[in-house]
Amino acid sequence: MPRHSMTQIFSPAADTWLRLAVVGFLSVCGGSVVGAIGFARSAYVTSIDNAPHQPVPFSHRHHAGELGIDCRYCHADVEKGPKAGLPPTATCMTCHSQIWTNAAMLEPVRQSLVENKPLRWVRVAKLPDYVFFRHDIHIAKGVGCVTCHGRIDTMPLTYRAHAFTMQFCLDCHRDPTPNLRPADRITDMTWKPAGNPRDPGGKIAAHVGIRFGELTHCYVCHR
Amino acid sequence: MTTSPRQWTSIEELAGDAAFAERIAAEFPVAATFPPTARRDFLKIMAASFALAGLTGCEKSPFVAGIPYVDQPEAALPGVPRYYATAVTLNGYAQPVLATTYDGRPTKLDGLPGHPATLGRSDVFMQAAVLQLYDPDRAQSPTRAGAPVTWTDVGAMFSAQRQDWQKDGGKRLRLLLSQTTSPTLARQIKEFQSQFPAAQLHVHDASGERERIANAIAAYGEPLDLHYQLDACSVVVSFDDDFLGPGPRQLLHAIEWAQARRRTDVPGIHLYCADSIPGATGAVASHRLRAAPSRMSHLIEALAARLGVAGASAADLSEQERHWLARAGAAIDGAKGGALVTAGLGTGSQTARWAARINDAIGASGQTLKLTPPVANPGIDVASLGELVTDMDNGQVDTLVILDANPVYTAPGSLDFVNALSKVKTSIHIGLYRDETGHRCNWQLPLTHDLESWSDARAVDGTATIIQPVITSFYDVRSRHQILAMMFGRDEEADALVKETWRNAFGDSFDAQWKKALRDGFVAGSTAQAQAKPASGWTEPAPSDVDGLDIVFRLDPTVWDGRYANLGWLQELPKPLTTLTWGNVIAVPPAWARDFAVENGDLLEVDIDGRKVLGPAWIMPGQADNTIGLWLGHGRENAGRVGNGVGYNAYAVRPAATPWTTKGSVRKLDSREALAITQMHHRMEGFDFVREVSAASPSLPAPSPQPSLYPPYPSAKNAWGMVIDIDSCIGCNACVAACTAENNVAVVGKAQVEMGREMHWLRIARYYTGDVENPRSYFQPVPCMQCEDAPCEMGCPVHATVHSPEGINQMVYNRCIGTRTCSSYCPYKVRRFNYLDYRNTPEAPVEPVHNPDVTVRSRGVMEKCTYCTQRIQAAHVAADKDNRDLHDGDVVTACQAACPTRAIVFGDINDPNSEVSKLRRSGRHYVLLDELGTRPRTTYLAKWNDGPDSEDDRT
Repeated sequence: MPRHSMTQIFSPAADTWLRLAVVGFLSVCGGSVVGAIGFARSAYVTSIDNAPHQPVPFSHRHHAGELGIDCRYCHADVEKGPKAGLPPTATCMTCHSQIWTNAAMLEPVRQSLVENKPLRWVRVAKLPDYVFFRHDIHIAKGVGCVTCHGRIDTMPLTYRAHAFTMQFCLDCHRDPTPNLRPADRITDMTWKPAGNPRDPGGKIAAHVGIRFGELTHCYVCHR
Repeated sequence: MTTSPRQWTSIEELAGDAAFAERIAAEFPVAATFPPTARRDFLKIMAASFALAGLTGCEKSPFVAGIPYVDQPEAALPGVPRYYATAVTLNGYAQPVLATTYDGRPTKLDGLPGHPATLGRSDVFMQAAVLQLYDPDRAQSPTRAGAPVTWTDVGAMFSAQRQDWQKDGGKRLRLLLSQTTSPTLARQIKEFQSQFPAAQLHVHDASGERERIANAIAAYGEPLDLHYQLDACSVVVSFDDDFLGPGPRQLLHAIEWAQARRRTDVPGIHLYCADSIPGATGAVASHRLRAAPSRMSHLIEALAARLGVAGASAADLSEQERHWLARAGAAIDGAKGGALVTAGLGTGSQTARWAARINDAIGASGQTLKLTPPVANPGIDVASLGELVTDMDNGQVDTLVILDANPVYTAPGSLDFVNALSKVKTSIHIGLYRDETGHRCNWQLPLTHDLESWSDARAVDGTATIIQPVITSFYDVRSRHQILAMMFGRDEEADALVKETWRNAFGDSFDAQWKKALRDGFVAGSTAQAQAKPASGWTEPAPSDVDGLDIVFRLDPTVWDGRYANLGWLQELPKPLTTLTWGNVIAVPPAWARDFAVENGDLLEVDIDGRKVLGPAWIMPGQADNTIGLWLGHGRENAGRVGNGVGYNAYAVRPAATPWTTKGSVRKLDSREALAITQMHHRMEGFDFVREVSAASPSLPAPSPQPSLYPPYPSAKNAWGMVIDIDSCIGCNACVAACTAENNVAVVGKAQVEMGREMHWLRIARYYTGDVENPRSYFQPVPCMQCEDAPCEMGCPVHATVHSPEGINQMVYNRCIGTRTCSSYCPYKVRRFNYLDYRNTPEAPVEPVHNPDVTVRSRGVMEKCTYCTQRIQAAHVAADKDNRDLHDGDVVTACQAACPTRAIVFGDINDPNSEVSKLRRSGRHYVLLDELGTRPRTTYLAKWNDGPDSEDDRT
């Protein structure tokens, strides 16, 4: 009976190829996850550092920074309701009926007043519609404007300073203490606690009655 | 405690029908129809869903427009609700409301706190009125023969007509009104009569207000309103009078009944109700007698004889009737002046006369019964619709102006109003919709909705409300006062006409009083003054019985006389007792159904004097023998896209002479119709869902704590809980309607309801015990139990339902991937799944009615009662801003706010002095499905059994 030589199905390199394929597959899988998360957090998706085109090139640096107008002069509802409120045309005109009355740049503002048609700004700070955010309670408990909106007073054109991801909100809701400031420093863009921010923060938290541990449950922001 | 009797929900269940058992065994009836291989397909499809589950948060955050005011009004705070006191109307009566508006758009109506009659409570019609405001099927501009015209054209038409009317004093002009209580309209009608003295006025109201007055004239010799003082009663004997049933008086009666019921430790009021078609009053009555309407005059005369009223004699009575009358008579004797006898609309003038004479004899008049001049149609001398039709047929009417009525649809079939209308040269319809009448009239002039109107109206107790607009009209519409002024040739502002009326009443202090009336929502001290009037009607022996079935007409408990047929919220509300949605049925008694082999859904043909109508049968447990019930308000042709063609039109067979009870015949046809009944959906597995106590054993055994493997949940400062008193529940549905409005609950339509997919977060489960011929009925509102050890939370694979420190079982829509595991784990069956995308498109006209504080849920997401978490958060924010603790009553859920009997109480169970904590210590307190150890936060108070089937009575 002649010896039948067995045909080799796999070449000696097959084992290596298999190992490479497994590693490659896992890398693609892992890479996709990392890539997807990275993409979701990228400035492209979250639109941070992106100043959209506005009907009037309003400069917060000039108004809030150089002139030192308080945030609440224009965003007047911020302590009273959920929305900070964009200033009505009439607020712009309190000054601009007196100064820069003929500036071409302000033509849309004057037109809005004459035609009684609101200006259409492009909102920079925006949360998804399933988040029920309230400005008033944050102000009342000592969270300053700068904490979420960044150094508005240095922005010639306004852009998103922070990506409003759930992580961003939760970091503070889990541990609000270091982010609290005295009531008279709420709109101050440059205030920094002297020393450890937990010391003044802890005192403020006790004073304003922060409900620690209750701020992270879902229904606080979603319903 | 003895073993409680078996609780059943339907006759199929009582009969042990195998198909029924199979149906309820399925988690959702629709899932039961999956083929066997579908499970594998399901897993395949779900694999993709799981893989993509995390990607929903990965959309690019877009920039959108931010649009401020040009000049922001001082009080306008974007996103902060503002409240206005005003009223909507039902049958012309004011239903005082507090309207919630967000950024200028009304989203929710609640009862007006502080109103002397309604005390801030509400009913289903009040809750749904805000949806009608946004109804895209409303008439949007004046039309002539269906073509849009301008108000200038209308003015020109009126001025041409006016010249004709002035020639002969308006002899050939008729004004047909619906019932009204508006002082301004009354003033304008007086002006109409002085301008056109020969013109005749007619009032048409399909909901029985005219018959109510006719009965009062029969009993007292003059038109009067009868005001039951239920809070002063300890015994009420009702003869087919469903005073706790739907209608303009339901709120007042329910509030007072509940107050009387809770007056002492044991129930302070007992109802004795002789009932033909089971209603709310019969359902909560201590002693219910089922009796055909034709028996009512015999029964009341026998009661009169028992109480020694002159001229009364007891006729042939059955054993049951004698027994019930003996108990009722003894109870009246024992009540010592705290008793009241009432007679229903359909029982006829003879019964009304006996009721008046009995009430005089037992000292009810002035105590438990107050009489006032009629609140409605004050000083307007009117003729009936029948007289109008006769004159129209005889060619005596050239111009017919119909103000806010729909007689083409609601006129009794025996009158043939359509034919008569075709003989009128100029017909003008003024109404909210271009309805059946609007389509057949030459002109249709659209009205403003109450929420867009300046007007006024009186509540059923006579208290006046000035109706102020909470929004400017969307459409090219005018108020009824403006249109009447146009008839006189004047173009006036809507508020000027109302101010003119009240300037006379308020005198010198007009400005202050006007402002106060607008702020309070009612005019102080305007309640109707009671007057004494002895019964003066002659009485005669009851007529002998006529052969044939008694046919009883009832108004639909959700769409009323048909005026709300286009409101999806009301069409989808399960009607009390039948739990029917989207349509009406012909109610038949169980014995009759057995004799003629009729099953639920079989088509029946009702024949009244040759006029016929077809409708599906419904076997009504407890319905009187020889009695058939028809519901008015459905079968509309021009209601709009929602209400057209739903159900059958019972007006077509209604006789004008006896509009509430008549004789007729019924036969079974060989076809069936599917009914969207909810009673078999969301069934729980278990026993003793409703529990009872009686005077002999007023306490239930204390619930024994169930062992649990889970550690006790740490509680925050507040721990929310709810107690529902099923003794006070009259099944009126106000809570369900309020929940729908508050929480943006979707309307899914008839086909979806048939599949068990209705979305209501709160269901009123209805149980029966005892014999199908005359069972005892129970209503049990079931919202989410907010279990402390919640099975749903264990089931969810993606943590989409989790516990809050305050004890709320939170549902996170964004995490939900739609496995429905939570729902199958839920023993209470309170979770609802969005099988389809039930949302409107963002451009839909009804979109603004949504509560902006609550997410509108999309397809594939589970949802359920949240204890109105948006209200809890709003209260927290308000308290936290002031740096104070929450007080009892700071958070009121929508269902609690609506409930007329205060059966629902919500609050903090950590606070031992809160109302909810006190109720949890009651002897009647029990936990639904206690044996499961889920430790629900929503618990119940047992029903009092104070009737003949109570334990103390059995011995």
